[in-house]
Order: sequence, then structure tokens, then C-alpha cells
Amino acid sequence: MTEKQPKKDGQKVAIGSGFEEQQLGQYTDFSLMKRLWGYMQPYKWTFLACLLLLPIISGIQVLQPYLIKLVIDEHLVPANLDGLGWVLGAFAATLVGRAGFQFLQLYLMQSAGQRALYDLRVEIFAHVQSLSVSFFHKRPIGRLMTRMTTDVESLQEALTSGMITMIGDLFTLGSIIVILLFLDYKLALVSFLVVPPLVLLTAIFRHFLRSAFRDIRVKIARLNSHLQESVTGMQIIQYFVREYISAGEYDDINKEYRQANVRSVRYDAMLYAVVEAAGSITVGAIIWYGSGQVLQGVVTLGVLIAFIEYMQKFFVPIRDLAQKYNLLQSAMASSERIFQLLDTNERLPTREEPLALPTGAMKIEFRDVWFAYKAEDWVLRGVNFTIAPGEKIALVGHTGAGKSTIMTLLLRLHDVTRGQILVNGQDIREFDLNAWRARFSVVLQDSFMFRGSLRENILLGAPNASDEELVRASERVHAHELVSRYAAGYDHEVKERGANLSAGEKQLMSFARALVHEPEVLLLDEATANVDTETEALIQDALEVLMAEQTSLVIAHRLSTIRKSDRILVLHRGELLEQGTHEGLLEQDGHYAKLYKLQYSPDAAAE
Amino acid sequence: MSTQQDNLTPRQREQKWREIRYYFRRYAHWFAGGALALLATNYFGLSIPMQIGEAVEQLRLAAQGEVAADDALSALLTGAGQAIILLAIGASIARIISRILIFNAGRFIEFDLRNDMYVKLATLDTGFYNSMPTGDVTSRVTNDVAYIRLLYAICFLHIINTTLAYGIAINKMIGIDWQLTLYCLIPYPFMMIVLRSIIRAIFDQTKVVQAQLADISSKVQENLAGATVVKTFNLQERETKQFATMSEDFYNKGIRLALLRGALGALTVFVAGVGTLIVLGVGAMRVKEGSLTLGEFVEFNGYVVALAYPTQAMGWVFSVWHRGQAAFERVVAVMYRDNALTPPEEPRELPAVEPGVARGEIIFDDVNFQYEGVDQPTLRDVSLRIPAGSRVAIVGKTGSGKSTLVKLIARLYDPTSGSVRVDGLDTREVELRELRSELGYVPQEPFLFSMTIAQNMRFGLDALEYDQTIGRDAPLTSLLSRTRTAANQDERIDEAVKVAGLTRDIEAFPEGLDTMVGERGITLSGGQKQRVTIARALLTDPRILVLDDALSSVDTQTEAEILDHLDEMMRDRTTIILTHRYNALSRVDTIFVMDEGRVVERGSHDELIAASGLYARMYEQQKLRESLEE
Repeated sequence: MTEKQPKKDGQKVAIGSGFEEQQLGQYTDFSLMKRLWGYMQPYKWTFLACLLLLPIISGIQVLQPYLIKLVIDEHLVPANLDGLGWVLGAFAATLVGRAGFQFLQLYLMQSAGQRALYDLRVEIFAHVQSLSVSFFHKRPIGRLMTRMTTDVESLQEALTSGMITMIGDLFTLGSIIVILLFLDYKLALVSFLVVPPLVLLTAIFRHFLRSAFRDIRVKIARLNSHLQESVTGMQIIQYFVREYISAGEYDDINKEYRQANVRSVRYDAMLYAVVEAAGSITVGAIIWYGSGQVLQGVVTLGVLIAFIEYMQKFFVPIRDLAQKYNLLQSAMASSERIFQLLDTNERLPTREEPLALPTGAMKIEFRDVWFAYKAEDWVLRGVNFTIAPGEKIALVGHTGAGKSTIMTLLLRLHDVTRGQILVNGQDIREFDLNAWRARFSVVLQDSFMFRGSLRENILLGAPNASDEELVRASERVHAHELVSRYAAGYDHEVKERGANLSAGEKQLMSFARALVHEPEVLLLDEATANVDTETEALIQDALEVLMAEQTSLVIAHRLSTIRKSDRILVLHRGELLEQGTHEGLLEQDGHYAKLYKLQYSPDAAAE
Repeated sequence: MSTQQDNLTPRQREQKWREIRYYFRRYAHWFAGGALALLATNYFGLSIPMQIGEAVEQLRLAAQGEVAADDALSALLTGAGQAIILLAIGASIARIISRILIFNAGRFIEFDLRNDMYVKLATLDTGFYNSMPTGDVTSRVTNDVAYIRLLYAICFLHIINTTLAYGIAINKMIGIDWQLTLYCLIPYPFMMIVLRSIIRAIFDQTKVVQAQLADISSKVQENLAGATVVKTFNLQERETKQFATMSEDFYNKGIRLALLRGALGALTVFVAGVGTLIVLGVGAMRVKEGSLTLGEFVEFNGYVVALAYPTQAMGWVFSVWHRGQAAFERVVAVMYRDNALTPPEEPRELPAVEPGVARGEIIFDDVNFQYEGVDQPTLRDVSLRIPAGSRVAIVGKTGSGKSTLVKLIARLYDPTSGSVRVDGLDTREVELRELRSELGYVPQEPFLFSMTIAQNMRFGLDALEYDQTIGRDAPLTSLLSRTRTAANQDERIDEAVKVAGLTRDIEAFPEGLDTMVGERGITLSGGQKQRVTIARALLTDPRILVLDDALSSVDTQTEAEILDHLDEMMRDRTTIILTHRYNALSRVDTIFVMDEGRVVERGSHDELIAASGLYARMYEQQKLRESLEE
């Protein structure tokens, strides 16, 4: 890299500096543990079985050096092989037993642990489903995704491997200590001499490692956000010939990241080597001191060798304990983020005992409706209108006039900020939310398709509809013809977001979706996507069918649709400016007349 | 070991291995040092069993009265204990050195690869970015590079360590009892094969589990993106049920993976124990026969135990190897990607900008252009001349080819046929970065980086100031008066704030120009962002300024003020305005009207209105639209 270094400190702030880690710390570890335990409780017997297996496994493991002692003391030193077969058999049994029990323990642990997290995962998902639309508008999808995937994963990792092996390690340590003391307490104390300095050294290295890891986390986050932003804005970087300056910045952060890693490598290597050495050093000490004991006949040769064998198993758990503790800590952070989400209760207020929906025809009234997503940033300003049963209403207006807001308010995706929406004189907030929404059949501008079959997509709102109903509805809006083109028919698989369907196909499918629902009120937001003339003819025809009978409220972009309606509501900047029939409004020569000229006169195609 | 990705062409395989060797050679001395240290650590470490064995043997002899338990024996045994401690310390130090050298080599290779990838990415053409999703690109520089680091560090360390441990230990074991050695080693190749197949199965199952997780993620993504639809159609339960089914599937696959891991764990226990079992059985008999001493027996077992870990480690090496190879292939695919823009063999220099001389002439000579993977050409037979120092506008419907036209001036793409010339030179004859450094581009989407506002404004200026590979120096001309030289860049930045109509906005921020943009800082409005991007372009004092619909979120009055300043600033330079709005159009010299990739009309505003063609119609529409917005 040949660029000069920036002169001022202030300029050294590179791309992607606007990054910060999320702050946590609202929950105590204890309260988190308690809540986590709530998920484990249904499987408590399995967890208990796991815990019971741990001392058995540790016991078997600790038995092996003892068997070696037996071979030496009973068979090799006296040179007597009688009964050696039994000891060998026992040794083989410990091998098989340990492997078997360990496998069993792992299986139980995994099945219970993963089950518990399955429950948690589904609970999070169901919880998110219950939140209101405004919740989704405020949060980036990526972050919610992390909660439901990565965080649950790290929790699973800690729960199914970290925590249980940590307890297992403790058992192993404990039983080795007990058996060493039992075999010869003096020699045991000599063996433990290495433990305090080892624990001290481990703590010191851990301390440095932790600070190195913290540094690594900060640096990698910066490095990745620099990269992410660079790749996203690469065209700008290239336009402004900043390739090498940016590469220089990246190199700087990369270097800091590398240095942090070099530090961690250093302490990690030391930690690894010190633990490895601890075993051998203790062996040296045992021979140094223990040989005297053997010579004096206080300790048998077998005991000495058993001590040597034990030392190979003694120090690794000490090292791993600290590592697993870290794993637990990161799991705690994950669970905290998860519980934060679970504790979010952004919902529309509902009545404890909702009123019954009117059974007969519905007369809908908007009474002085005001709405703002953000304080005082009004999207609707005092809108008043009524829709009589069976009436067909067209909403027209420029982008941002508030047309789709009227629709979302009617569906109660949001509640009005001021004023009321009434049905037969009853405020819609008094009804059960889902029952209210079920009254509508909705065609959104973005004909959102889910992954799954065409059938599933059409039957979204009416999953119990029969095949006949499905076909009849599809036929009426010309969707059936399209479906028939696919070899698999209604079982044709739709890709994510309907990527394998054309815009026109998606529209017709969403028409069928609305029709099969047999709605009382049709809400339709006409798509503006360009379709070929043939499909356009099909769509226009289908629209006619769709709007034929019931009450409908349509955000209209097509002149033909507007003409089909009984009344046109003209919106402008959140206010209801004019209303009337097409001809009547044209005669008024007001806002609608201008809109008409712009959008529907022959020349409108120019842009 | 072979790679699983055998669908590589020989050329790609050769490239991959060339890169693998290249990065290895850079740190070959570290690897060599690491290998030497591994030799030392294994040599020291594997000397310990012999010491133990000898001590045990002496103790046995003493116990059976074959040697006297005198001071000499005590000294001998104490010496053995001390020797073990020293050997352990020696092995430990060598272990530290080996790990530091080899792991650092891995870290340095990772560092180099990241930097090399970044530079490659920074110089790749726009076509590449159209062909590969951002997530894919970044994943290669982050995840794949990390796997490659492991490929070097883990594989090298363990292959060498295991080889050395086996070599030294087996040598010593044969020295004690070659037949016993043979018995002990019989299970090892077999276990290695089983180990490898379990690890392969784990590797495959991990992929299955990850695929399921990806599936779940995309379900969640779909659900979150369609939150409105879900609520509208009361699909909450259906969605939860689907999610639960997928999670159930994930659970089953996860359990299978866990079982495989469990099997690996069980086998590992076997590996560690089976050798000892054989030594115990066969060894005991040979001790009884007298062909093996007790000390040798203990020593021998020491070697067997010492080999358990290196054997297990090889299992890990297999999976790291596969993953690393696959990662290398993805990285190499970027590294060897050809740049669609070939640099000039003998670059020519653009004529210098001099006071009083108009610069920035642009000529399109019969240019056709078609994007890769698109059926129809985007530009068709475009021939036009933008005189030096003029102000022109390009108008047309969305998709008419306006933006593509200016992208060709900046040589983001080369024309499919025909040529683009700037101040008399074909864009392909000029050094690419020289050409772009003369261009001020204000994009349609105001993309800002998460830095402070001042740093964003200096974005292009920094390059001119600090990057020596660019011939052009950072300009010092005042933005408000062409004839004056500014005292420093800070003064020019203040001027840029004024020109871009940002004075009041900046004053409103507590930290002024040092306000952070983006997640950590404030969110700028669309109009504010656009004006920052204008300041960014102006500070480089370009000979050609392109405003690609860059004032769409700025109100008309501010727009007029900005354009007034630009008239002054861009005197003798060329300004190209792409716009949907027409209030700016009466002030430009020439308007080019584009439709379906062709220039269909050209002339001044009045001329085009008089011609009452496409432009006149579009103008009428616009007037109507503006009246609606009042």
C-alpha cells in the first residue's frame, strides 16, 4: 500500500465506525437461570437421569488406574498371573461401560436439552406472531432473526454440552481427589502441590486471554462492518477512487485484529502447555518423593504407578472448567436477549370480553379519524365517511395521500390515533381482533406469496375450503387456467416470496385467495406492476368478478376499476378532499379532475 | 486425503494449490520453526516414560532385594524425578514455541488473505458486484478466510505432531519389544478408519443440520417480512404450526448429529483405552516370561497413552481439511476473477485543467450497451456531444438508459460497441482511477458511510490528498470563487456546506460536522443525505459533475439555490443533470431526451417545448403533478 497516512486523528475513523455492541444487564444471572429452568422442568426426569449418570461415568473413569495398580501389585511384582483375566475383564468392562454410559448420558442430555430449546424456539416464534405490526416496523428483521436462530443456538450449545460436562468434570476431579487420598494421603498431598500454582497461572492466563478475547470481539465487529459497508458502497468507493485509502483503513483494523489474536495465541499456548506440563511435573515430584516411600515400604509400587496414571487425567478438567464457564456466560447473554424479546408486549389493546360481531349487514363509519405513525406526523387528518352495506368505494389520491392507511386502520393493523371507526355504531376496538379481521378479504398491492404449494397460498384465509371451492374460485378469476399450465397443478411449489411466479400470476392468485374466502367486505389495493396486455385483460375481468357482490373498498389505479365503483373518495395529504361519482367529480373540475388527466388521459403513458 | 469438491476444472485446482503454496511459503520459516519445536516437544515429552520406567524398574529390583536400597539408589531415583520435571519444562517451552509459531502463521495468513481479498474486491468491476450477492462476497472474506486459517494452523500442527509422536514413540516401543508393539498398533489403523468415517458422517450431518437451520431462518425471514399478511389473514397459528414442524425436523436432525458426536466420543474413549488393555494383557504375560521388565512395561504403556491424543486429533484434521479446501475454492474464485475493464497499455493523460480553459467535453460515438444477462440493449446507437464547460440535462422515463449513460462516462462499464471520449481521449485509454478522479458523481441513492458528516464529505478529497497513486493533487480552489485559493481544506468544507445548503442543518446538530451518520449517530433525512453527497462530490473539484436525480428529496427553493451556486462553481466545467423534475431544466444549455435507450430529442427547453414532442408531453405531465402537490 502506498498511500500516505492521514494527518489528523479525526480522519482515522474508518468506514463502519458507526458500530456499537448492544448493551445488556437488565436481568440478574439468578433470574435468568430461574427462567431457563422453567423450560427444562418438563424434562426434569431426563435431566436427573443425566446427572445420575455423571458420577457413574466419573467412577468408571477413575477405576482404570486402580486396575493398573492391581495388575502391578498383585500380578507383576509377585509374578503371579492367576486371576489376571478377571482384572483384564474388568478393565475391558470399564472401557465398554464408560463408552456406553457416556453415549447414553449424551443422548439423554441432547434429547431433553434440545426439546427444551425446541419449546423455547416455538414460544419465541408464537410470541412474535402476537405482536402488533408497529413492532415490526421499528425493528430490523436481521436482529429479530438473530434472536430466533443464533441466540437459541448458543443457548443450546451451553445447555447440552457446556453445563453438563462442567458438572462431569467436577465429579471426575472430586473422585480422583478422593481416591488419591484413600490410596495414600501423603503422596496425594504432594500431588496436589502443583494445583495452587496451576490454578494461579490459569487464572492469570485466563485474565489476559479474556481481555484479548474482548479486544478480538470489538475488532472483528469493526473489521466486518468495515467490510460490509465497503462491499455495499463499493461503487461509491470506486467513483471517488478511494479503493486504496479504504484498503489502508481495512489493513489498519485488520492489523489490530491480528495483534489481538497474536496476544490470545500467546496466552492460549502458555495455558495449554502449562496444563500439559503440570501432569508430568507432578509425576516427577511423585517419583522424587514417592520412591523414598516405596523403598521404605510405606507405599506399594502399584500405588505409585496408579498415581502416575491419575495425573494424566487430573489437570485437563481444571483447565476446561474455566473455558466452560465462559461458554455459560455467553449463553447467559443470549438468554438475556431472548427474554428481552419475550418480555416485549407490543400489542393492540383488546377488551377482556370482546363484544360479539354484528351478524347482519355492516355499515362502516370513519368518524373524525386521525392517524400518525410518529407523534404529530399526521398521515390522516380528520377523515369522515361511511360505507353502506354492499357499496363499492374507490379510494384515489397521490402517493402518500393516506389511502393504504385507511385500509390498515380498518383491518386494525394499527389503531386510530384520534377519532373512531364504527360498525353499526360499535367501535371496532370492542371486537375480538382475529374475528374482526376474518370478516375481510384482502388483496394487498404486494401479492405476498409464501413458500409452499399454490393450493396453500390460495387457501391462506380459508384452509378448510374443499377442492371444488378452490377450483371454482380460481376459475372465476382466471387463476385456474394459469394453475393448469403447471404439471403439478395446485401442488406446484411456490418459491420464497413467489420468486418463480410472474407479477400477473401472483395477482390472479391473490384474487383467488380473496374470493375463496367468501368475504363480507373486500379490501383491495390494486397493484401497479406492469403486466402484459393479455394478463391485464384477465385481471380486469377478474376484478369485475371480485367486486361483483359484496361491500368493497378499493385503492384504485385503473380507470376501469374506478368506474365500477359507486362512489369515489379523493384523498390528498391525509384529508378527504372530494367524493362522488366519476362523472360528478370530473364536472367539479377539482383535484380529481387533475388526477384523472395525469394518470388516465391517453398521454399519461409518457411517464 | 482428497477433497470432496471434485467438480473443479484442472485449471481451478491448479489455481487453488498455487494459492495454498503461495501463502504457505510466505510463512514457511515459521512453519519450519514450528515443526522443529514440535520435534523438540515430542522428543522431550516422550523421554519421560523411559525415566518413569527406569525408576519403576529400580524400585522393583530394590523391593525384591536385587539391588541395595542405599543412598546411591535414592540419588538415582531423585535424579529421575528431577529429570522428568526438567523434561516436562523443556517440552512445555517447546510446545509454547510451536503453537505460537504455527498459530501465528495461521493468523498472519488470515491477515494477508483478508487484505489481498479486500484489495481485489476494491478493484473488481461493477459487473462482478451485479453477479454476486453482498452476503456471499462478505462471507468469503469472513467465514471462508477463517476456515483457511484453520486449514493451515490445525492441519499443519497436527499432521506434523502426530507424525513425530508416532515416529518417536513407535521407534522406542520397537526398541523395547517389537512384537508387543505390533499387537498394540493393530487396532490403530482400524480405529483411524472408523474415526474418519464417523467424522465424515458428522461433517455431512452438520451440513444437513445447517441446511435445516437455513430453512428455518428463511421461514422466519418470510414470516417477518410478511408480518402484515400474516395478521391480515389471521395466519398466526398456521405460521406457528409450520415453524414448529420445521423445528421438530431440526430437532430430529440435531439429535442424529448429537448421536454421531456421541459415537465419536465413545470411540475416543476406546482409542485411549484399548492400547492400554493390550499392554496390560500381553505385557503382563511377557513380564511373567521374563522377556519384559516391569519398568519396560510401564514405559511401554506410557508411549501407548501418549499416542491416544495425537490419534484423536487426526480426526479433527480430516474435517478441518475438507472445510478448508472448500473455503479455498470460494476464495480463489474471487481472487482469480478477471476484471472486465482492461487497463490501457499505454495510458494517456487528460489535458490539464487550467484557469479560463473550458474542460469536460464528452463525446458518445455510436455507443451501444447491453448488460450481461439482459435480453435487450440498454443503450442503442447513442451519439452525442456535450461541449466542455456546458450544462446539460438528460431526461427520460425510468429505464430509458439515463443512468447507464453516465455510468459509461465513469467507466463502470465499457460500451459493447462504439466509444466514449472525455476531453478527446477514449475512456479506455486513460488510467481508470485518473478518469474517475476527474469526475464528481452524486448518486440517485444517497449512500453515506457510517462515519461523521465531515468524513463523509471528505470521502473523495481524502483520496486525492493521501493516495500517492493518484496523479491529481487535492484541489485548494475556493468553492465560492473560482479565482481564489482557500487557506485549507477546512475552509473548503465550510464552503461546501454552504453550497449544498446544509448550513442550517449542521447548526442544528449538537456535534455539527462531527456528527456520526448511521446506527450509532443520527439518521439524516433523504434530503440531508443528498446534500451531503453533493458536498462530497464538489470537494474534489471535478471537471465533470454528474447529478443523478440527486435533488429529488430537496425542496424546489433549496434546489434552485444549490443550482445557483453550481453555476458559479462549475464555470468552465461540465455539469450533467439527470432528473425527473423540470424546474431545473430551463437553466441548462442542452437537454437530451432519452427513450428506450435512444436519444430521441435534443435542444434547449424552449426549443423542445416548441417541437411539442415527447419532452413537451412529459413537461405537461410534470406541471400537472406539481400543481397537485401544492
